[in-house]
Amino acid sequence: MTLHLPPICLAVLACATLPAAAAEPLSFNRDIRPILSEHCFSCHGVDSEHRKGGLRLDVPEAAYGEGKSGEIAIVPGKPEESEIWYRIATDDDDDVMPPTKIKKRLSDAEKQTLKRWIEGGAPYQKHWAFEVPKVGAAPAGGHAIDSYLGAAMEGGGLAPTAEADRSTQIRRVAFTLTGLPPSAEELDQFLGDREPGAYERMVDRYLASKHYGEEMARHWLDVARYADTHGMHLDNERQMYAYRDWVVGAFNRNLSFDQFTIEQVAGDLLPKPSVDQMVATGFNRCNITTGEGGTIPEEFIFRYAVERASTTAQTWLGLTASCAVCHDHKFDPITAKDFYSFYAFFHSNADPALDGNALLTNPSIKVTPPDYDAKIAAFTKRTADLQAKADAIGKEVASRYKDPGDSLVPSRVSEVEHVWFEDAFPAGSKVTTQGHPLAYSASPAPVFSGNASIKRGGPGIAQDFCENVAPPLVVPQGAKFFVHVYLDPADLPKEIMVQFFNNGWNHRVFWGQDVIPWGKAGTGERHRAGDLPGAGKWVRLELPAGKMNLAPGTPVTGYAFAVQGGTAYFDKMGMVGKSDPAGDPTRSFIVWRKAAAGKDTKGAPGDINAWLKEGPDKERTPEQLERLKIYYLQHVCAETKPRFAETAGAIAAVAKERSGYEASIPSTFVWRDLPKPRESFVMLRGAYDKPGEKVVPDTPAVLPPLKKADPDGRATRLDLANWLVSRENPLTARVTVNRFWQQVFGVGLVKSSHDLGTQGDLPSHPELLDWLAVWFQEEGWDVKKLMRMMVTSQAFRRASAAPAQNWKDDPENRLLARGPRIRLDAEQLRDSALFASGLLKMQMGGKGVKTYQPPNIWEPVGFRGSNTATYRRDNGDALYRRSIYTFLKRTAPAPFMANFDAPNREASCFRRERSNTPLQALQLLNDVQYFEAARGLATRMMASSTDGKERFAFAYRVVLSREPSEEEMQIVGAFFRKQLEKYRGAPAEADKAIKFGDSPPPAGVDVPELAAWTQVANLILNLDESIVRN
Amino acid sequence: MIPEAQFALNRRQFFGQSGLRLGGVALPYLLGGAFSGRASAASEVHPALSGFPHHKPKAKAVIYLHMNGGPSQLDTWDYKKDLIKHYDEDLPDSVRKGQRLSTMTSKQAKFPVAPSKFKFAQHGQCGRWVSELLPHTAKVVDDIALIKSVHTNAINHDPACTFVFSGTEIPGRPSLGSWVSYGLGAETSDLPAFVALMPRYPKDSNGQALYSRLWGSGFLPGKHTGVVLRSAGDPVLYLDNPPGVDREDRRALLDTLGKLNRKSFDAFGDPDIQTRIAQYEMAFRLQASVPELTDISGESKATLDLYGPEVKNTGSFASTALLARRLVERGVRVVQLMHRGWDSHGNLPYELTNQCRDSDQGVAALIQDLKERDMLDETLVVWGGEFGRTVYSQGTLTKEKYGRDHHPRNFCMWMAGGGIKGGIVHGETDDFSYSPTLDPVHVNDVNATILHCLGIDHERFTVRNQGLDVRLTGVEEAKPIKAILA
Repeated sequence: MTLHLPPICLAVLACATLPAAAAEPLSFNRDIRPILSEHCFSCHGVDSEHRKGGLRLDVPEAAYGEGKSGEIAIVPGKPEESEIWYRIATDDDDDVMPPTKIKKRLSDAEKQTLKRWIEGGAPYQKHWAFEVPKVGAAPAGGHAIDSYLGAAMEGGGLAPTAEADRSTQIRRVAFTLTGLPPSAEELDQFLGDREPGAYERMVDRYLASKHYGEEMARHWLDVARYADTHGMHLDNERQMYAYRDWVVGAFNRNLSFDQFTIEQVAGDLLPKPSVDQMVATGFNRCNITTGEGGTIPEEFIFRYAVERASTTAQTWLGLTASCAVCHDHKFDPITAKDFYSFYAFFHSNADPALDGNALLTNPSIKVTPPDYDAKIAAFTKRTADLQAKADAIGKEVASRYKDPGDSLVPSRVSEVEHVWFEDAFPAGSKVTTQGHPLAYSASPAPVFSGNASIKRGGPGIAQDFCENVAPPLVVPQGAKFFVHVYLDPADLPKEIMVQFFNNGWNHRVFWGQDVIPWGKAGTGERHRAGDLPGAGKWVRLELPAGKMNLAPGTPVTGYAFAVQGGTAYFDKMGMVGKSDPAGDPTRSFIVWRKAAAGKDTKGAPGDINAWLKEGPDKERTPEQLERLKIYYLQHVCAETKPRFAETAGAIAAVAKERSGYEASIPSTFVWRDLPKPRESFVMLRGAYDKPGEKVVPDTPAVLPPLKKADPDGRATRLDLANWLVSRENPLTARVTVNRFWQQVFGVGLVKSSHDLGTQGDLPSHPELLDWLAVWFQEEGWDVKKLMRMMVTSQAFRRASAAPAQNWKDDPENRLLARGPRIRLDAEQLRDSALFASGLLKMQMGGKGVKTYQPPNIWEPVGFRGSNTATYRRDNGDALYRRSIYTFLKRTAPAPFMANFDAPNREASCFRRERSNTPLQALQLLNDVQYFEAARGLATRMMASSTDGKERFAFAYRVVLSREPSEEEMQIVGAFFRKQLEKYRGAPAEADKAIKFGDSPPPAGVDVPELAAWTQVANLILNLDESIVRN
Repeated sequence: MIPEAQFALNRRQFFGQSGLRLGGVALPYLLGGAFSGRASAASEVHPALSGFPHHKPKAKAVIYLHMNGGPSQLDTWDYKKDLIKHYDEDLPDSVRKGQRLSTMTSKQAKFPVAPSKFKFAQHGQCGRWVSELLPHTAKVVDDIALIKSVHTNAINHDPACTFVFSGTEIPGRPSLGSWVSYGLGAETSDLPAFVALMPRYPKDSNGQALYSRLWGSGFLPGKHTGVVLRSAGDPVLYLDNPPGVDREDRRALLDTLGKLNRKSFDAFGDPDIQTRIAQYEMAFRLQASVPELTDISGESKATLDLYGPEVKNTGSFASTALLARRLVERGVRVVQLMHRGWDSHGNLPYELTNQCRDSDQGVAALIQDLKERDMLDETLVVWGGEFGRTVYSQGTLTKEKYGRDHHPRNFCMWMAGGGIKGGIVHGETDDFSYSPTLDPVHVNDVNATILHCLGIDHERFTVRNQGLDVRLTGVEEAKPIKAILA
């Protein structure tokens, strides 16, 4: 085969409008369509609304026929009789085409080409990508890809380079398939394998790696426009990372691409869809949404459907269908009706126009693991068993309970102790700490009673407090508080304070100096009870509740321990009160019911709350009464409550375990349709409020017809998904293999990988593209097999070092006479630096992490009410996760990504730019992530050997998978010595340099030496060779 | 159209070529010393596209003062002296004509007319009516062309801001500054061609979100993205060396790196390696030029006084306005300053007073400062928000307190400087400032005008993307506002 473009045109392959050399036979698709498309179709093409003079030049029947004027536009074989040739060639300003007011002119060469074409009979061809790919036999011999490429290369006049050395090969494969450089073991294994097939075995190991899915997913997530925020206005967080993890998993288990397609486009319509298949439908929930007040809902329902339809068309069909939102497509044969019929598939999602700025905008599902139902059933059973036990106790207790409020029972006034704090804050309350972290201390630290006391201290004012205690602690008659306090004699506080909450923190008592300025001094808000107690021993402090304005019966729902300027231990806190059980709701069922009448009882189940609210006079059935009483005895009655402590504690523990389990399961956005589909219309000029002709879901007329599961019914998205991956569809397989090709080789066989329509670029190797597309389908859309096919080709394995002529003639490497050499992507750069440093954490999946980010990235753009207005960095392992797991805020993406051309995911990105800027240099040299990584690498270098040269060699192996040359060692060595000298003379500087970043430098290290090696590592990680896939 | 192939030809560079715009502020000390004669900086330029500019430009640079949130035209520039007669009357249907409203007020039972509570007076030789909120800008009205009839398509912030800066409501297109950077290239190799600034704004105001797409490069190469000069942390991201690493260390590292990378180039032949060497050298230069840029100790007292006392607070509007001048002076092509807080739905008089107090002096000082330096005639200054505000009150109306909802049908913008006729007004609105009655100007016309002043014919400035020849000024016809051109 031959390359479809003459060799002289290599440098401008991207530009499709090239006249064929005079000797070459003309091809309509290669030579004529681009000219007509560029200059004629906007007025004489598909777009009926803007068509001039009733003339169409995009289809032969119209072009050969008599026009409105009576003239015939094209008479095959006879330019002089063809109206278009007259119009093109004439000097008459009134007649010439394109009209003089159009600034784009036909060149003379283009005119001659058109003339030759008419002379040759003006044959038309359907646009190449709309024909089902047909394959002849592959050129004989060797790897199929190389056979096709080889033939083209002969025409291109460039000699292929030799196979790259093995270390270059493995590094290239490792980055391509896993986004990481080879590990030392992987390198040794490959270099040590001298048997035939070593390369293929190495490739297979990487295809089997779980990091393969991460690298593959990264590219797909650009297409799917996945991110962790809504994208518009507040740009709040959204939770759909389960979709991201689904993509990783799908590539790892090598889900066939047709199934991958069906599940994402219509997983919800599959029979009994699994959770996984529902998660996959997140693809078309990844679009940006708004929650902005004032938004007109109809407008955004329309926009979302347009976005989803366009993205789907572009992702699978490689068609820029969105042009037809406003009018018939000017170039591609897609009418507005085609577009809106396609849009109708996506017009009925059940999501609202306004996302509510919510973490989850419905429809969403919980991403439950397979054993979820069994786990929940087990929790339910454990709770029921415990409850049955409690109820049994309840019956027994009830049978003996004598209500002191009953006039027949003799009164027994007594003094009672209510313990509010022992070992921990009340279960279920909200505990907060200000100062150092909450610390319960057990023996040998001072403990008064029980198992633990609370330790509180720190500079300034520090406090621990609980809120939302339910049911509330009720102040009894004549109450006196007591608390046990132990002051640390070595760190004596100035003041200690206890506070209580009842509709506000307005009840305080303190001992010692009056330095905590809360509340009004001399009132119950800030009552001084005396001097600090003696230190180094447990002291019981007391005071009457009255001084703090805590009247009997006051419900207290929180309390706090505070300390100023020292350390104190608090233990067993509570109240002593007089108890007249006959009037005490915590003793008497009758009194409790009276007290609860007419209001809500916090913490009580719905029916019990309702009965209580209705008051004791309302008649109750014996069963209801018993249920009420058992509830009382179990949860309220001070006398009987302890009998239930064990079961209550066990029930609470199960509840806590269950809620912890539930909380660990994320939810995610999915696709679900409204019960009744919306009616869809052609929207005139793309205006959301100007419906025109009504449409039903359908695929573009120029493509093979849709097969509906129900021939008489409405077409479904599942029909659409099946159609996308049907053998009749000429586009999906081509678009897909082309995008994977781009991923592997740097540029697609069709450079405009987002557009295979008439305005897109022509394929550099059309027969290869078609062969791959057909083969891919015949092999069951097996993505790993396709990736293997590409990376095992000689084209991929060639050396990228090439003579100047090669770079000059083929700057984009379209002929692949040299191996692909491309700058690493943003994620690969960061991940490989972390990998080299030994800091990389390989944990997969889960919520997006917030790694190092310079200050003021989110803040200057953040909306005040937004939950992503302020960046709160994570700590620990989260700083060192792979970049695919970085939290992605669309309106202010992480600079380490954006700086290296990662898209902000507001819209699909099919091809990243690979820019080369000074801001990138600053990042790789100075960003804490890279400098810390350099120190990590330096630490490993020092540990690898005591010999300097060995250390250089180690770094080169880790970063470049090769040994350094003697000359390189000398150059780097001179730099090392200079830096060592500097840091020997400035140890404080060295100390700063090795402490940049959160991870600690190794203990006992020679600090100036580590600093100097860090500089060397920083240098090596910045080598051009290091930041490029060579 | 520009073929995509040209992307490849231009991707080698980032910053511009010819050093400083004004010879008087050259930075010889930066160019001497460690790297003089080393970097092939001169060959790594960021030139204009071939054929650009299309015509002789009047302005070389743009400072775009974006008042984010939608300033009220009724309380600043669009004086309606008879409106007081209609106080609290329902907005007549004959004026509203059933136009769509944002859903924040579309359910209001009544649309009471809220005349501005602020006093207006005539200023300058041109006798322009200006609100008492803008006493400083009032002094420079003879340099300003006021456009009273600007209108836009969008009614909410996110789409409207996106429209103003990229010519469409849908995210994904290049911003104005990146178009200009792409077309005209840069004039300096020490600073980026396009810089975005975000000063602080009054804390009680209703600050809306910004989006990086407002200075993003969309489908143009990433190097045309506006570089955010920050008022906290490193002014340019990653500009500072790590702790314990000084400039001399960096020089030594770059010398070594250069040696090794040149060896790589010899081995591979990849021209990108040479570009990378040059970019590392430019990064090194940037580390010196940015601190010089932000150090205002050399500014005269007279200049500082012009901007007012706030000029010394980094991140204030005044200091940011001064920075804008310094950037343009050093050859930066587009400076986009985004001042938030103009979205006054509730207590407009209070918030707007703060907004104007925060920015008025800095705006006026910028004009005067540029003028005194003979820079105004080649610097285009643009002032405006993403839409205007309604004549009727959102929420309760009293004489002292009212709110205003979004109003895309007409609002005020102004331009001054290179290519613009000063002291004139263009367009008029009806008695309620509800619709243009004369010379309506679309936001795309404003952008066409900006490009025109820079020597660009907006119709010929297209880039092929997704099958369309995309231009900044959209699909519908747009044209420069002839009447305000000098």
